[in-house]
Amino acid sequence: MLVNLTLIFIAAAITHNFVLTYFLGICPFIGVSKKIEQAAGMGAATTFVMTLAATVTWVIYHFILVRFNLPFLEYASFIIVIASLVQIVEMFIRKTSPVLYRALGIYLPLITTNCAILGLTLFMVLRDYKFLESVIFGLGAGSGFTLALIIMAGIREELECCDVPRPLQGAGITLIIAGILALSFMGFGGLISR
Amino acid sequence: MSNAVLISIISMAGLGLFFATLLAVINQKLKVEEDPLIERIMEALPGVNCGACGFASCHQYAEAIVNDKVTIMSCRAGGESVSGRLSEILGVKAGEAIKELAFVHCGADESKRKKKASYTGIKSCVAAHNILGGEILCEYGCLGYGDCVTACPFAAIKMVNGLPRIDREKCTACGRCVIACPRNLISVKRMEQGGSIYVACKNQSKGAETRKVCPVGCIACGICQKLTNGVFYVENNLARTHNERLSEIPDKEEIMRKCPVKCITK
Repeated sequence: MLVNLTLIFIAAAITHNFVLTYFLGICPFIGVSKKIEQAAGMGAATTFVMTLAATVTWVIYHFILVRFNLPFLEYASFIIVIASLVQIVEMFIRKTSPVLYRALGIYLPLITTNCAILGLTLFMVLRDYKFLESVIFGLGAGSGFTLALIIMAGIREELECCDVPRPLQGAGITLIIAGILALSFMGFGGLISR
Repeated sequence: MSNAVLISIISMAGLGLFFATLLAVINQKLKVEEDPLIERIMEALPGVNCGACGFASCHQYAEAIVNDKVTIMSCRAGGESVSGRLSEILGVKAGEAIKELAFVHCGADESKRKKKASYTGIKSCVAAHNILGGEILCEYGCLGYGDCVTACPFAAIKMVNGLPRIDREKCTACGRCVIACPRNLISVKRMEQGGSIYVACKNQSKGAETRKVCPVGCIACGICQKLTNGVFYVENNLARTHNERLSEIPDKEEIMRKCPVKCITK
């Protein structure tokens, strides 16, 4: 049981990282990875939404959709859940940390449309996870997202001091780095086969 | 069948209602006290979050107006009508605001350009500029194929005698033409209240060489510098202006008249 949960966590966070393996959630990955503090804030917010989304959607899927034989409503109901959770997180951050709220800017409401989160809930259904497994899966996916964002922000902070050729400045070099990072994450691939 | 439809509607409505209530309750609990002024400014702004003002959303711009006292003229999507309404709300006179405009820094129209070859390629400034600088002798001057005209989203630029002319009523200083011009001839500057004045030339070669390629090119004689006590200054063989000091010039007509090549215009 514990081994299984650990495996799910490591798979979601590292070997099958949402950003670097599935290429989900690239928008905030490029957009909010300029500073480590911002990246950590965004990662924490996304992890929170992911974990809660996995928990709540599992409950809704199994106790409402499966019970009344309505699995075709999974997209609509999952999006309602995600959107509401993002709203709650947004209000919470705005209340507690106006600085972080301003730094995250438009990317905070955009967690709603972050494909990583909808992807997470759909994977959860597809792989038929149990309740605890789903929660751990959400937590792992969020940690993996945070990890990718922080690594990227670290590299980009170093990059500030580098002489990047003009045509590659900005998004260009960022996408190249993302590609190299994804390649290096492939090295974890043998860790778990799934 | 109808049963399934009914159950789907009920369950979705139930979910929606549940989360709506949850959000409403949390919204009350976590309410942030906000300046009512920000709300009124939000209503006046277009609310499209285009980002042209330099802020991520209209809301952030509204906050910056109230808290950091940034200018109310930055909203380009809304233009003058929005800044007018903002000035009503904030009690700032809209007349104090200064309009920004695009200016073309070349004065050589079709009849004044000296040519070194005949260019028959694609009729675009970028193409001509990349092939040995097109057909004109001046390496800095306007090529006249109107890339800026195509780039302008407000139809504010027209080609007159091979030179772009900017309609100052229509220009919103969005800066698309600045990017489009391969020779960087267009700049966006503040329109001073007493009328603008600028150097319509970008030629940085020495006076004698400029004379050879263009009759209206700046020869860096420095007369404008002496006349204006340094508001105009010569650097790298080209006269330039300190824009923030333009209002110090008492008689703009005089400088335009005294420029030997007449490259200073309004």
